[in-house]
Amino acid sequence: MGRSYLGEFEELVLLTVAVLEGTAYGVTIATELKQRMNNRLISLSGVHIALYRLEEKGFVVSELGGATSERGGRRKRFFRITALGKRTLAEMRQVRNELWDAIPNPSFS
Amino acid sequence: MEKQPNPPRWADRFLGWLLPSELYEELLGDLHEQFAFQAEEFGAQKARWMYFFEVLRFCRPYFLKRRFRAQSKYSTSYTYSPTMLRNYFKIAWRNLARNKAFSFINLFGLSVGLACFMLIGLFIADELSYDKFYPNANRIYRINSEIKFGGDEMNKAISPDPFGETLKKDYPEVEQYTRIYAGSGNKFIKKGDEFINEQKIVYTDSTFFDIFSLPIVEGNPKTALDKPNTAVISRSGAIKYFGTPNAVGKSLSVNISKPSIYNIVAVYEDIPANAHFHFDVLLSMINLKDPTSPDYFQFGNFLSHSFHTYLRLKKGVDYKDFEKKLPEVFLKYSMPQAKQFLKIESKADFEKAGNKIHYSLIPMTDIHLKSNLQNELGPTGSIQYVYIFGAVAMFLLLIACVNFINLSTARSASRAKEVGIRKTMGTERSTLISQFLSESILTSFIAFGLAIILMAITLPFFNDLSGKKFVISNLFTFEYLPFVMLLPFVVGVLGGYYPAFFLSSFKPIEVLKTSIKTGFSKSNLRNTLVIFQFSISLILIIATVIVYRQLNYIQTTNVGFQKDQVLIIKGTGALGESAWAFKNEILGMAGVKSATMTDFLPTDNFSRGDNIFSKDQVMTPENSFNIQNWFVDYDYLATLGIELKAGRNFSKAFGSDSTAIIINEVFAKKLGYKDPVGKQIYLNDKKSVFTIIGILKNFNFTNFHTEIGPLGFFLGKNNTTTSFKISSKNGQEIVKKVEAKWHEMAPGMPFNYSFLDENFNQMYQSEQRIGKVALAFGILTVLIACLGLFGLVTYMTEQRIKEIGVRKVLGASVPNIVALLSKDFLKLVGIAILIASPIAYYFMQKWLQDFAYRINIEWWVFASAGVLAVLIAFLTVGYQAIKAALMNPVKSLKSE
Repeated sequence: MGRSYLGEFEELVLLTVAVLEGTAYGVTIATELKQRMNNRLISLSGVHIALYRLEEKGFVVSELGGATSERGGRRKRFFRITALGKRTLAEMRQVRNELWDAIPNPSFS
Repeated sequence: MEKQPNPPRWADRFLGWLLPSELYEELLGDLHEQFAFQAEEFGAQKARWMYFFEVLRFCRPYFLKRRFRAQSKYSTSYTYSPTMLRNYFKIAWRNLARNKAFSFINLFGLSVGLACFMLIGLFIADELSYDKFYPNANRIYRINSEIKFGGDEMNKAISPDPFGETLKKDYPEVEQYTRIYAGSGNKFIKKGDEFINEQKIVYTDSTFFDIFSLPIVEGNPKTALDKPNTAVISRSGAIKYFGTPNAVGKSLSVNISKPSIYNIVAVYEDIPANAHFHFDVLLSMINLKDPTSPDYFQFGNFLSHSFHTYLRLKKGVDYKDFEKKLPEVFLKYSMPQAKQFLKIESKADFEKAGNKIHYSLIPMTDIHLKSNLQNELGPTGSIQYVYIFGAVAMFLLLIACVNFINLSTARSASRAKEVGIRKTMGTERSTLISQFLSESILTSFIAFGLAIILMAITLPFFNDLSGKKFVISNLFTFEYLPFVMLLPFVVGVLGGYYPAFFLSSFKPIEVLKTSIKTGFSKSNLRNTLVIFQFSISLILIIATVIVYRQLNYIQTTNVGFQKDQVLIIKGTGALGESAWAFKNEILGMAGVKSATMTDFLPTDNFSRGDNIFSKDQVMTPENSFNIQNWFVDYDYLATLGIELKAGRNFSKAFGSDSTAIIINEVFAKKLGYKDPVGKQIYLNDKKSVFTIIGILKNFNFTNFHTEIGPLGFFLGKNNTTTSFKISSKNGQEIVKKVEAKWHEMAPGMPFNYSFLDENFNQMYQSEQRIGKVALAFGILTVLIACLGLFGLVTYMTEQRIKEIGVRKVLGASVPNIVALLSKDFLKLVGIAILIASPIAYYFMQKWLQDFAYRINIEWWVFASAGVLAVLIAFLTVGYQAIKAALMNPVKSLKSE
């Protein structure tokens, strides 16, 4: 059995979690993605669903942060990438690189 | 500090309902944080919109799935597991089976309500579907004319013949037009040796099929009817005349004397029943231009209204806007013609005397329900019917649901212990609600099955009532099926919702420790519902009484002519000159008193004609009157029993009676002479002068909806219809003899007879129908309401059986106890009377407004309906009350 399937958007979210190391939660991930993706329509609900699925698949872990006076005292759920998540990302990158190398005439841009 | 903008509160509440509870806090936090950013960046208003859309995007199956999974994983509730569902229905079935009387009342009431609802649903769906099947139906309009002239007002479905063409030529909004000329309505068509009286025959333009694109069996509809002597026939028409639908190339011989031959060039599929006209034979309009034709018509007249004109407007044209341009046509084309005919100079002159010609458009799909003008192409329906039937259907269903609610809550005491035990054993409230709801849904589904059976039984009666031809399978067509299947579900939830919440709210400790008392007067809701039921029943009872009293008034009021024992034979014109011989033959028979030959009779379906007469030689709008001019013979007054007020009847003794006129009282009053007899009036062409020789007592020559207008009788020679006054004894025998004579003198001709009183009654068919509807549904609502009441009382007496026992022991008499038990119910019926009377009064007053001659609504109608309701209620309640009161107290008190 291979790894769990990782969708395109899930992969992006997972990468962002890795990028934001320690400060990754819904809003920051969405903002980061928006900036990097040229304002592609990123909805919070989409990000969250992706995060929960990643968590179910074991690619990220999460914990609730402490309550602050911000956002009406509601706590944030912070996400961290797991070793499995990191390895999966690396494997995917590996596969992609191999595929790129296999293209006979790579300068087709 | 500036106040922070807040995201909409309701959106948060919605999320709270939607999202799994363990995620709510963090998600809402993120949302609010994002909102704060956005409010700063884009402003509060835009941020709120963005927030709203963000919330909308949270409506994803993922969250629901996750919540469901969480529930099934952690909660101990098995509310919706299949085993529980099976259990609910098992318990429901046992409950139904245990309380047979209650189940019967519920099932019977619900199934009657459902059956009525579905029947009426069919009716309404059919009424609303009229003419919608034509392609582009929403762009087709008919021109209506409103004509006011000489004090006479006419609203016609017809318009002048050049109107359609003029509109198409002058206005780019009009895409196409077609005209229909119905003329006298029927023609004789030869089939073999006999003549068939064809009613569904008209002249049409060659553009007919461009507007009304009906499916074609054979032939080319585009070129059909563009040559003289061509005809198009419907499939059933073709089968009627030729025995085969492939009739192209065959020909029809129309009219008896001087027949015209029409070649059939195309055959179309029959026009569906839900269309506002149904023709079987369409003749080419070009034949109307032939001066030798009996229907010869001089085209080009903007003042003569004879054609049904239909327009198809271009896409995107608002017909209301286009309608505003129609007066231009009147000014440009009609006025020049009017100037020649009347001594007027301008439109203002014309309108000064209160005259008016106004044209309007009506969408074709509205014709069936919203149009009821003169010269409609067939009987139209009425939107009022749709409303009345619809309201009745809703009410019947509601009343049946109310019974359900009432009985279920009334029975709460006996279910209270069950609820208490269940709760003690750990049942959740949601499970209980599901259980009670499944009980009501089960009941509703069984009732639905019964309703289908009931419908099948009552369908013929309903078809008679509604004038439709439904079959039970109509319900199960593709378009209705989803609604039909949903119906028992909706009813079950509607009827079971309140009881389910009510019953499941009991606190176990209370219901198990003490027996709860559900006194009747305690439940306001139950009282309101009983009042509601009886109010509806009463309104229908009162409506029935008033409709029938009005019908009775129409039947018994002296209409000014004697409508009984008048035998009418239509189509005697086919005999030609021998019609008079026929008349004399019949007159010679025993029992025939007198005869008159004229097509002008005071009921519908006979000729009507009007013309403009003036008081003085020079006609001005002020001195001219549009009056009905009827052509009658010497014996007309005697045969119809119309009385003269002054002057004399036409008489053969006076040779000059061809220029004589007998006028009615209304016209005499309009003329304003002190003694009109001997005075002269002038016909619009100024050449004809008529001398008034007599004045008729007013008689109602149209119907009770319209006031008697001005009327004049002229001496005429017309053999199309012959009427006989016969003696009352052997009417049927005379008809047989007349028929034998007819077949002898006119072989192959259809014998078409009727009686004047039948024709008279037919004019009030729609009123009779309303009467029948009110009666039928009145009885049904009373029945269902009484069933409910019976159930309630049965239950109440059962509850108070000990109390009754104690009262009897202490010396209460039987009447005491009966009064005690029925007092509360009768009070409710009393309130219902007070509520129903003004509502019924209001609606019936409105209904009566349609009649120019009508009854007054008298107080005793309400009083007697009230007494009836009280009586019915008392009979229902009394039976149980007396039974309870007669019971031996030893029996009810011995066990505790």
